[in-house]
Amino acid sequence: MDQTHIRNFCIIAHIDHGKSTLADRMLQRTGTISEREMQEQFLDGMDLEREKGVTIKASAVRMAYTANDGQAYQLNLIDTPGHVDFTYEVSRALAACEGAILVVDATQGIQAQTLANLYLALDYDLEIIPVVNKVDLASARPDEVAQEIEDLIGLDAADVLPVSAKTGVGVDALLEKLVERVPSPKGDPTAPPRALIFDSHYDAYKGVIAYIRVVDGKLNKKDDLYLMATKKIVEPLEVGIFQPGMKPINQVNTGEVGYVATGLKTIRDVRVGDTLTLQSFVEEYGTDKIKRLPGYEPIKPMVFAGFFPTESDDYTLLKDALEKLQLNDASLIYEPETSQALGFGFRVGFLGLFHMEIIQERLEREYDLDLLATAPSVEYEIMRKDGEVIIIDNPADLPDPNHIDTIAEPWMHISIYSPADYIGPIMEITTRRRGEYIKMEYLDETRVLMEYLIPLSEMIVDYYDQLKSVTRGYASLDYRFDNYRPGDLVKLDVLVNGEPVDALSIIVHREQSYPRGQKLVSKLKDVIPRQMFVVPIQAAVGKKVISRANVKAMRKDVLAKCYGGDITRKRKLLEKQKKGKKRMKMVGSVEIPQEAFMTVLSLGDD
Amino acid sequence: MNPNIAPMLGMYVHIPWCPTRCIYCDFNTYVEGNPDLKAGYQAALLREIRESGSSLKRPPLNTIFFGGGTPTTLDPTQLIKLVDTVSAAFNLQADAEITTEANPGTLSLSYLRELRQGGINRLSMGVQSFSDYELKFLSRLHNSREARKAVENARAAGFENVSLDLIFNLPQQTLEQWLSNLYEAIKLEPDHLSIYSLIVEPGTPLHRQVAQGNVPQPDDDVAADMYAATIDTLAQAGYMQYEISNWAKSKGEPDWETPALASAHNLIYWRNQSYLGIGAGAFGTVNGKRWANVKRPQSYMGRVGTGGRLGLARDEATFETLTPQTAMAEHMMLGLRLVREGVNSQAFEARFGVALEAQYAEAVAYGLERNLTEWIDSPTGPRLRLTRQGRFLANQVSVQFVE
Repeated sequence: MDQTHIRNFCIIAHIDHGKSTLADRMLQRTGTISEREMQEQFLDGMDLEREKGVTIKASAVRMAYTANDGQAYQLNLIDTPGHVDFTYEVSRALAACEGAILVVDATQGIQAQTLANLYLALDYDLEIIPVVNKVDLASARPDEVAQEIEDLIGLDAADVLPVSAKTGVGVDALLEKLVERVPSPKGDPTAPPRALIFDSHYDAYKGVIAYIRVVDGKLNKKDDLYLMATKKIVEPLEVGIFQPGMKPINQVNTGEVGYVATGLKTIRDVRVGDTLTLQSFVEEYGTDKIKRLPGYEPIKPMVFAGFFPTESDDYTLLKDALEKLQLNDASLIYEPETSQALGFGFRVGFLGLFHMEIIQERLEREYDLDLLATAPSVEYEIMRKDGEVIIIDNPADLPDPNHIDTIAEPWMHISIYSPADYIGPIMEITTRRRGEYIKMEYLDETRVLMEYLIPLSEMIVDYYDQLKSVTRGYASLDYRFDNYRPGDLVKLDVLVNGEPVDALSIIVHREQSYPRGQKLVSKLKDVIPRQMFVVPIQAAVGKKVISRANVKAMRKDVLAKCYGGDITRKRKLLEKQKKGKKRMKMVGSVEIPQEAFMTVLSLGDD
Repeated sequence: MNPNIAPMLGMYVHIPWCPTRCIYCDFNTYVEGNPDLKAGYQAALLREIRESGSSLKRPPLNTIFFGGGTPTTLDPTQLIKLVDTVSAAFNLQADAEITTEANPGTLSLSYLRELRQGGINRLSMGVQSFSDYELKFLSRLHNSREARKAVENARAAGFENVSLDLIFNLPQQTLEQWLSNLYEAIKLEPDHLSIYSLIVEPGTPLHRQVAQGNVPQPDDDVAADMYAATIDTLAQAGYMQYEISNWAKSKGEPDWETPALASAHNLIYWRNQSYLGIGAGAFGTVNGKRWANVKRPQSYMGRVGTGGRLGLARDEATFETLTPQTAMAEHMMLGLRLVREGVNSQAFEARFGVALEAQYAEAVAYGLERNLTEWIDSPTGPRLRLTRQGRFLANQVSVQFVE
């Protein structure tokens, strides 16, 4: 299709504000899928996504639409991941579009994540089509929310479309508006081809499928292609479009959205943000002649945790499962790790805590693994006294303090959007986590934007949960990396029954070592069940024990009555007890339950 | 000598009626009311007994145990009718142990005489405590004076085998308070004592009170102290502990032997032998199959009215064919409760065709290493049994044997 009849757009929305339902409705209205094929939230392919109501993997679908002007248009809806951990992926999806539908829940108003993504979209000069969704609900206040949109982003409130994705009200008007307002692509059809990769997935038969937006030129299935950042040559098995299933075609034209089945086996070779061009062109002129599309960034995991199988026999299963997950998740990195306490496992890097949670859940659910995850850590930059700089993401790897000159940690710039009522509690919990105040702005009479710098290590210790809790769920949070800064950091070790448990070590600010140590010990004391002997628990910085408590010995564990019909029941009780024991880790002669290793996560709250 | 204990068959008969429900009780019991219901239930019991006896071709029967509920809510004639019916449908052995549970508040001399004359030869009295305050807390209907009187009446009626049930570790109960209960019991010279630590079972009024914080959760450390003191006190008073919660008067049996006055019926369970369950919700285990009857008396009566076979009131959801693995695990879990005779390794091998030490090498080593179990020699072969320490932590041992 000629570019003037193409509209590429995405939907920006907060979780639960109805993005997927709206997408479903548009697919139906354009006849892209039939009622019969209609499955709720079609674009969200994974069960987990459907359950969590968030989109983890972006998806792209082409819709044919005949507008009121009687002309046929090609609408490409590019779905974006809806979580803060995936900001880079979001930015690439936005870069593939000319317009964005801003969906705001008519009962809730704008949330931080929406605003962050909206600003991102404005940075890419996207045409914004604002809609208020869920106008069918009794508690909807579409006029107020429209006014909020005007106040926040200067879009005319009168321009805000009232929509109910659930009932379909306003969807036709929205489709018209897309055609009317979203600019068509302005690529050069005759230039050497350049296509932006904005997502990918792994297919067992076709290798990595690159989701692409052709910027200039055309991609033909007969041409060999070249990935400019990873420097891989691609002999496409097919090119095609999503409708919404994969449909091979001969050529994806300038301005269009589609896919290339690369046949490559490693998803990391097909990096989101990379530029796909013609291999023959590169051979002829060299890569200097073709400008890479802007905005590419290498993968940068921020959060690291040890994953260990509860049953050491499951190590190979865990390895296979991680390999399989990595096929589809380029941002997932891992390497083998050996812990004295937990045995053989993997150190896994994630984009953020949410990403970690999803991976852990998928490993447990889809691969039926019993996992033990250590408290997440960040990457520290250690300047040794001998001048060498080393990077560690595991507190257990911290060198002897005598050899350390400085330890630097990552700091994040965070933006919190909240009703003004909660300014006090937000300041309190943020300051307690070493947060440094930058500024505060009233967005309107009742809502504020607060900005802070905060160490990432403090953020991953349940900061988000705390924020939600002190603001009754009203605050939302966005963050980005700021810089590395040296700090007075020390390693806090935990000894159980006299033995250091490496998997429980954490790096903390020196001033926090006492309170954190005490709290850690007292929590562990509650979490570690009584054993047949007294178990001392100690927290120590270096050789200095700063806190100590004992788990009392178990003295009685016996079923009082046991006869008659009770036998099956009692046996089942024992079987349950056995299962519980199996889930524990033997550290020395002490059985430590899984939750002990996550205790560190809840140290921040009081 | 044959290491096997002679195979026995026992029968449990469930009488679900109670005058009131006690706050800690999670048994299948109902407050008695409608006399027609009771009469209908009685008729159903008689029918199930007859059908079971004829399906099994009138096998030898070694014990009958009337439990509940409160069997003594029945007239003596009703209880005796049940005994007579069993005796007709089964080859009830001459030395059979016939026990009924009894509520001390209702046991007149004449009532007890009728029971005794009708063939019931063992009484298990739910005394629970000798403190009127504690009895009230437990919502028992009798007081300590009535309990003493009931024992006296039982003796006068000719019962030579009287057992008392006691409960320890009531909320806020002190060690001294518990021991004074125990001394009171010893003074009555019962032949047998069953002593349980109070368990706060889900679904009971007690559980709700604990959950709401009105009653403190019983303390495990206190329970351990009480249990230790109980073991010592009863040993001094001439009672042999033969099971984790059961004691019988000593007649000088050797160390590894279960005393003669032990509950023959309950030994059938602990020795993993066969028993029939008659009545609503009653469990039976026969030839490696286990099932319970349907739970509600009305449903039970409905089921019993039709068909004619063993298990005619069976609740299919409870039916279980015990695999060899499960049977072996249960054999260990149950046998280890017998703290004197334990599990005879030769009998184990004879029954399951595999040596105990081979089947459960790790589990056995676990207990031995921690001084929770020990091997003891007996004329019929080595036996694995709990040490004194092991009696406190029996679950830690048993759990090693289950899957």
